[in-house]
Amino acid sequence: MKKFTKILAVVILLVIVLSQGCAKKSDSDTNQVKWTIGMSQCNLGEPWRVQMNADIKNAANEYEDIKVVFKDAQNDTLKQRSQMEEFISAGVDLIIISPKEAVPLTPVVAQAYQKGIPIIVLDRRVLGDKYTCFIGADNKKIGKATGKWIVEQLGGKGKIVELKGLMTSTPGQDRHSGFREGIKGSGIEIIFEADMKWLEPNARKEMESALARFETIDMVYAHNDPGAHGAYLAALAAGREKDIKFVGIDALPQEGQAYVAQGILAASFEYPTGGKEAIETALEILSGQNVEKEITLDSRCFTK
Amino acid sequence: MSKLLKIKNSSWMTSPTIRALGALIIVFVIGLIFNADGAFLKWGTHRDMLRAVSVYGLLACGMTLVIITGGIDLSVGSILGISAVSFSLFCIHFSWPFYIAIIACLLIGLACGAASGLIISRFNIQPFIATLAMMVFARGLAKWMSGGQKISTAVQQADGTYKYVPVPDVFNFINSKILWNNISVVTIIFLICLLVSAVLLIKLRPGRYIYAIGGNEEAARLSGVPVNAVKILTYAMSGLFCAVAGICQASQELQGDPEAGFTYELSAIAMVVIGGTSLRGGRGGIWLTLLGVLTIGYLEKILSINAVGEDKRLMLTGAIIVAAVLLQKTKK
Repeated sequence: MKKFTKILAVVILLVIVLSQGCAKKSDSDTNQVKWTIGMSQCNLGEPWRVQMNADIKNAANEYEDIKVVFKDAQNDTLKQRSQMEEFISAGVDLIIISPKEAVPLTPVVAQAYQKGIPIIVLDRRVLGDKYTCFIGADNKKIGKATGKWIVEQLGGKGKIVELKGLMTSTPGQDRHSGFREGIKGSGIEIIFEADMKWLEPNARKEMESALARFETIDMVYAHNDPGAHGAYLAALAAGREKDIKFVGIDALPQEGQAYVAQGILAASFEYPTGGKEAIETALEILSGQNVEKEITLDSRCFTK
Repeated sequence: MSKLLKIKNSSWMTSPTIRALGALIIVFVIGLIFNADGAFLKWGTHRDMLRAVSVYGLLACGMTLVIITGGIDLSVGSILGISAVSFSLFCIHFSWPFYIAIIACLLIGLACGAASGLIISRFNIQPFIATLAMMVFARGLAKWMSGGQKISTAVQQADGTYKYVPVPDVFNFINSKILWNNISVVTIIFLICLLVSAVLLIKLRPGRYIYAIGGNEEAARLSGVPVNAVKILTYAMSGLFCAVAGICQASQELQGDPEAGFTYELSAIAMVVIGGTSLRGGRGGIWLTLLGVLTIGYLEKILSINAVGEDKRLMLTGAIIVAAVLLQKTKK
C-alpha cells in the first residue's frame, strides 16, 4: 500500500508537470489591463456553451484593456454560487453569469449587484430585478419563426416529423409550443413526434421508426441541429434523404451552419449565444453608459 | 398432459437460456400485437433495430466477460467516447490511412481497459471504484482531445473559417448496409466481436479461468490460476470492444462527439443482466447476453415505432426490466 501511495504521488506530480508544460502561455498578462471581467459558465459540457465562451473570448480580444476570467461550474449550482462569491471577493469590475438555474442563484447575483458590481445575466434568467442587464434569445419566438418558415416552404400543407428536445426543459417546451403556434391554421400535419433528448443517436433511432411507418414525410423539424442531422442520417440510410427536408435550431458554426453549407439541412435557425453582445454591453456599462435592462437577441436563419 | 409435465420438469426448461429466450419471445409477441400499422412486420425495422443496438451490444460483450469475473466496468461509455473522438481526429484531421487509425484506436481502448485491470488486480482496488475513476478520467481525456467540440467534417482553419472535407471512406463503409441492403456493417462487426468473446469464453483456457475467478477467486488463486493476469486481460478486452464500439459510433454519426457513450454503461449492464448473467460472478454466458441485447433492442424499437411518449416509455422500460430479471430468478 505504501508503494502504491508513492507511485500515485509520482504519477500525480508527473501529470501536473506535463499539464503545465502543455498549457499555452496566456497572452493576457499585459500590464495595461484596465477592467477585469469575471465570467461564470454553468456547464462547458455542451458545444453551444463552449461556443458562448469562445464568442466572449473573441470579442474581448478586440480590446486590449479588458481581461476575462472564465470559470466553469460543471453543471453544479453550488459550485457556480461559490464561483460568484470568489468573483465578488476578488473585486472584479463586472460579472457575466450564465446561470444554471434561477432560484438558488438569485441571492448571490443580487449580492454582487448590491455591492455595486455590475452584473450581466446571459441566456437563462434569475428572479427579481437585482441585476444590471439580461441578454438572451427567445426560444418561443425562434420556434414560431421556424413554424412560419416551414408553412411557407411547403405551401401551407404537408406531413411533418417533430423530433423534440428534452420536453422537461424550458427550451424544449418553448421550441415545441412556439412551433405549434407558428403552424396554427395551416394544413401542416404532425404525423410523428418523439423525444430525442437533444441527442443525435436518439434522433436517428426515432427517425428510423418514423420512416418505417410513413411512406410520405415532407419535412423534419428537430429542436436542435444534431437532431436534424441524426434524422438526415436515418433517411440517408433508407435512401429517402432527397424526398425530405430537414430543419434544425441553434446554427453553431461547426454544426448547423456547416450542415446547411453542406446541403444536409434545408435551414437552421440561430440560437445566438450572446457572447459578443455581452462584451459590448459590458464595455458600455463600464464606461458609464446606461443600458437596457433586457436585451432580446435576434435569430438569424441560415439557408443555402 | 404427462408429456407436457415432463418437459416442464426437465432441466433445459429451467436453464437460463430458455428463460432469456422466453423474455425475448414475449417482447417479440408484444411487437407483433402493437405492430404500428405493419411497420414491425417489415425487415427494415428489424435491420434498423439491429443497427441501433450494435454499439450497445459491443459494450455488453466486454461487460459480460467482466461481470463473469465478479467485477463491473463503468468506464465503457467513456472509453467509447475517447475512441470516437480519436478515430475522427485521426481520419478527418490527420488524414491517416484507415487501418492505422483503427489500430491506434484499438490500442487506446486496450490501454484504458488494461489500466483499469492493472489498478484493480495489482492494488486490489474494487472494480466499481477503479472503473468509476477511469470513467471520469477517460471522459475528461476525450473532452481535452477534442477541445470540447465535436470532431466533424467541418474543419476550422487558422483564420476561424470552416473548410468542409469529404467524409472518409471508412466512415461511409462502416455506416453502410451490405448483403443487398439487408444488414448493417456495424451489426456484422458486433456479431464478429460476439463470436470472439464466445471463443475466448468457451474454447480457450482464459475463458475457464474467467469463470473460475468469478466462482471463487481465492480457490482459483490456490489452484494456480494467474488471477491478476486474467483480470487485466478481461478489462483490456472490455476496453478493446469499447474502442470498436467507438469506431462504429463515430462512423454512424459521421463525427466524433466527446459526449458519445454517456450513460451507455447502464444499458450495457442491463443487457447483460437481462440475459441472465449473474452480477455475483461465475455464472452466465455470452449467448445469454445476445438474447439480452435483442430483448432491450426490440423493446426500444416497439416503443419507438408506436411513438410512445417519453414518460410512459421510461415507466414501461423499468417495469419490463424487473419482469425480465424476475423471470431469470431461480426458484430454489
